[in-house]
Amino acid sequence: MLTRRRSPGTFAQAGYYASSDPPYHDSNDTETSLFRDSSSRGRNIHKMMQLDTIENGMTDTDVREVHAGNWAASMAELYPSLAQCAIVAGALKVLLFPAYKSTDFEVHRNWLAITHSLPIQEWYYEVGVSDSSYAAVIFTPKVENVRMDPRLPPFFAVFEWLLSQAAAYIDPAMLVVKNLGYDSWETIYFQRATVILTELVLACALSKYIKSTPLAHKQAAHVAALSIFLSPGLFIIDHIHFQYNGFMYGILVLSIVLARKQSTLLLSGILFAALLCFKHIYLYLSLAYFVYLLRVYCLDPKNVFRPRIWNTIKLGVCIVGIFAIAFGPFVHWGQIFQLKDRLFPFSRGLCHAYWAPNVWAIYSFADRALIPLAPRLGLPVNQDALSSVTRGLVGDTAFAILPEVTSGQTFALTFLFQLVPLIKLWTHHNWDTFVGAITLCGYASFLFGWHVHEKAVLLIIIPFSLIALKDRRYFSAFRPLAVAGHVSLFPLLFTSPEFPLKTVYTVFWLVLFLFVFDRVAPVPERPRIFVFDRLSLLYLTISIPLIIYCSLIHQVIFGLERLQFLPLMFMSSYSALGVVGSWVGFMVIYFTT
Amino acid sequence: MAPSPPSHRPRKKRRTPVAPGSNNNLILNVKNGEPSFPLVSFLWAARAGVSQWLILPLTLMAVGLFRWAVSLWGYSGFQVPPMHGDFEAQRHWMEITTHLPIFKWYTYDLQYWGLDYPPLTAYHSWLCGKVGSIFNPAWFALDESRGFESADLKVYMRATVIISEYLIYIPAVVTFLRRYTRMHGVHAWSASIALVAILLQPATILVDHGHFQYNTVMLGLFVASLDAILAGRMLWACIFFVGALGFKQMALYYAPVIFAYLLGVCFFPQIKIVRLVNIALVTVLSFTLLFAPLLVSATGIEARQEFASAPQPPLLQTLLQVLPITLDSKSIPYALLYQLTQTVHRIFPFARGLFEDKVANAWCALHTFYKLHRFDASLLQRASLAATLASIIVPCARKERPPSLLPMTLSLAGNGGLNKENRAWVGWANVLGSWTMFPLLKREELRVPYVVITLLWAYLLGLPPTSLETYHSRSTKDDPNSQFELHALTKILHFVFYVAMVAWHVLEAFVPPPAGKPDLWVVLNALIGAGGFGIAYLWSMWKLLVHCQRIAREASEDDDRKKKQ
Repeated sequence: MLTRRRSPGTFAQAGYYASSDPPYHDSNDTETSLFRDSSSRGRNIHKMMQLDTIENGMTDTDVREVHAGNWAASMAELYPSLAQCAIVAGALKVLLFPAYKSTDFEVHRNWLAITHSLPIQEWYYEVGVSDSSYAAVIFTPKVENVRMDPRLPPFFAVFEWLLSQAAAYIDPAMLVVKNLGYDSWETIYFQRATVILTELVLACALSKYIKSTPLAHKQAAHVAALSIFLSPGLFIIDHIHFQYNGFMYGILVLSIVLARKQSTLLLSGILFAALLCFKHIYLYLSLAYFVYLLRVYCLDPKNVFRPRIWNTIKLGVCIVGIFAIAFGPFVHWGQIFQLKDRLFPFSRGLCHAYWAPNVWAIYSFADRALIPLAPRLGLPVNQDALSSVTRGLVGDTAFAILPEVTSGQTFALTFLFQLVPLIKLWTHHNWDTFVGAITLCGYASFLFGWHVHEKAVLLIIIPFSLIALKDRRYFSAFRPLAVAGHVSLFPLLFTSPEFPLKTVYTVFWLVLFLFVFDRVAPVPERPRIFVFDRLSLLYLTISIPLIIYCSLIHQVIFGLERLQFLPLMFMSSYSALGVVGSWVGFMVIYFTT
Repeated sequence: MAPSPPSHRPRKKRRTPVAPGSNNNLILNVKNGEPSFPLVSFLWAARAGVSQWLILPLTLMAVGLFRWAVSLWGYSGFQVPPMHGDFEAQRHWMEITTHLPIFKWYTYDLQYWGLDYPPLTAYHSWLCGKVGSIFNPAWFALDESRGFESADLKVYMRATVIISEYLIYIPAVVTFLRRYTRMHGVHAWSASIALVAILLQPATILVDHGHFQYNTVMLGLFVASLDAILAGRMLWACIFFVGALGFKQMALYYAPVIFAYLLGVCFFPQIKIVRLVNIALVTVLSFTLLFAPLLVSATGIEARQEFASAPQPPLLQTLLQVLPITLDSKSIPYALLYQLTQTVHRIFPFARGLFEDKVANAWCALHTFYKLHRFDASLLQRASLAATLASIIVPCARKERPPSLLPMTLSLAGNGGLNKENRAWVGWANVLGSWTMFPLLKREELRVPYVVITLLWAYLLGLPPTSLETYHSRSTKDDPNSQFELHALTKILHFVFYVAMVAWHVLEAFVPPPAGKPDLWVVLNALIGAGGFGIAYLWSMWKLLVHCQRIAREASEDDDRKKKQ
């Protein structure tokens, strides 16, 4: 791989080489490489790379012509376009209608019903004592986390209300609150279709992102946009498991893109505030927005001590206005505390049902690993926790040896690690740093947060994708995250028909995009500081035997029932290692750039 | 590490002024370099400098995802007791082959999905049944498991289809395309695009992974046999083709072509007796091998007793009357004959009358009708493969030239697999084909996959109803591709059919058929489909003739040149 590292100057050629080179240019070379016998398999790719650079040299003049302003030609290489990908991916997603759907599907149907048939005052009161008993009946294996009641902010409730207006024409029966577990074909078609259609917001945001990128980086932006749109995370969580993340990440991306230009900063802030009223998980990123908007919009970017009063007022009024629209009515009805309880259920444990791959997963793993060693080391063992060892899956994790962690401590840690990158954002307030800061805020909250869902890993991956192709160092930090983050989503789907879907799709995405990223990412301006990519290569290699063990060998050795938590624990610890590693790597890059 | 000098092969001098692949119409305008249909965009990055070791796995993963996604939907006979459908038939064969001695396979309870496919299907079922019984023996418990339906069983059965396909059909198609495109000097990029187009063919996916069948195994063996022909390995071609025949009798439709070709190879340009004998021997041998387990099993005492008391198949009765000797019904020759005639009797339903072993009710009639339909589907698969195969079949039909001349003389033809004209015709025939399967798919709740997979394929290849690009004439004088623009008549013809298909769907969805003729729409569908296939067939024939003329002309030019030299 060393041979194909290009000097920074040749980056543009590498990027534009594809378009300027006519398809028949090296027909013979590619033909010979086609299906060459397996003995030369390894060398083959390598050789292609060399040919690639050689071809580069040969087409140098063409490339310059492209750069000279042949806009059409440079646009031409953005294939497949986002729309084309959306159509083909849409076809696959429609085919997934009958796939497994989690309890979230029923949760969303229930919200449709509640928002459609109850007055707003009752939206956040409808619990249903019946819900828990019903849940116990229907969802026997995973009862404990099923909550049917609305627990997303008012804008999302309004969104559901809007959807329910259309749903009334499709199948009124799905809008009956007491119609629990109702999943007629119409309901499934309707709800799944709304996920696919609302995801178009993401497609629009991404196409805006591509348009907003300067020409020199357009190809990289295009690749990154495709990788986000086709993300296995969204594929697994939205289109199989069932949620509306694509829609909301669309708003987030749009808001990030709008933050690129001074003229649209206000809009960006407004959108983000609105996003918070859709799903409050984005609060985790709000500090980065706060610092950035304060520094760039409310203060003069060139001089910290010159506040721009008019801007501050505009932003303040707009954001307060958004929150007033969202929460005002509930304050008026005196329901705000009820809302708070719904949105921030602190009663839940440190780790989610499946351990999200964060620091606490490593912590729990260390705790479990220490149990056999405790008598020798003379450590006190918490006997209560010991009896619940096999319940490693379940929410309230108790630690046998290591000290318990309180929610206060997790918040302190999260806040601390969010603060560190924000200091740099304050001093180097450009867009790339802003996106980096968002990513690091996502990291901090994911790694140290209280009761983090594994799905929250998208909070890191999606903003990070926007800048992962800045140069090779960014990409090398992104790589373990892409692998670990997506692999850690596998336990969400545990039914056999979906096993090939999630694995093949994820492997497809990883192979395709890691390869393309590798070709597109330019060589960094500074040399690398440490051997991060060697470690990450080692990390990637371990994943293969681990996945095979967890999905196959473990069942063969122990059967389906015994030690069920073991593969999950391995997977989440392994993934946690990857996420933590990529976090450390990205921190270093962030602060050294 | 210093870059080592590349192993650079000197480029061959090109015969044509046009770059290879350019007459495939992959790029709209050479200056802009705009892809001419969406599938080209998807493989845009693979134009040059990307290894096949990357493209091929990615392609296979992508088409695999679509296959598996289709298989999540309903299948033939789901929750339709008492007979269910093809899914149950295949499951039932796994059940009987794993539990019964071989001699009973073709005689056991024929009223309930008796085995009526050739022996290779039976062996395949045996293997699938054995493996499946490891997971859950209840799926294939003898007699107990009739009509068994569970989510796990469905996953297992679907998995057997996809695994069989990836073990047989896909390697065969990939190696065939590789050899074929190389012979014609087609650019690797075009080959990759053609591969995706072939593997995403709607009819195959819908029938095998939706409706539930193992057609791809037979098709794979057939393609393997074509590949062997291209490679000049005639004996392997025989073995593979016997395999295809032994898996599904439908392969007989291809038999004339293969037979004519193999015969031609033995007699032209000069007579080669040794080759003829070898081919005959290998064919007989592989048939013997195919039937060997059945015959060996028939020689056992138990089998002989069973056969002696069982009713004779009509074929055996005629045979016994014709034969000069009388056979003891407990002798080994009788048992062998019985086994053979019984198997043939089962495989070819015409010998026993179409409805003999089924209750001749409306359902059954419908079912047969559908079987005929599926047959259309296979015709269609042939039609689409014919796009690339056409040039091979030419010399077979004419028996004039061995295919060794192909790379030289057919370079243009073989090269044009993806040109506008070919794409329009093949695409049209394919869309028509999946459309004729709609009545069948509709019954099995496969409407959504039908719509999605068919439209997806049409979209990827830039065909109606998603795009009119193929029919949009944009040729200029200096465009080397102008020869591939469609004739006005073709355009009209295709449009009439596309409009008819859409109109039929509207009719079928919103207008109830007149009382007394409940099947009117289905019959209409079949009629239009039959007409279309007839036209597609004529077009293929015409193409073949054109190719033949070209072969002949260029061959004579060759000869002239040689004489001059």
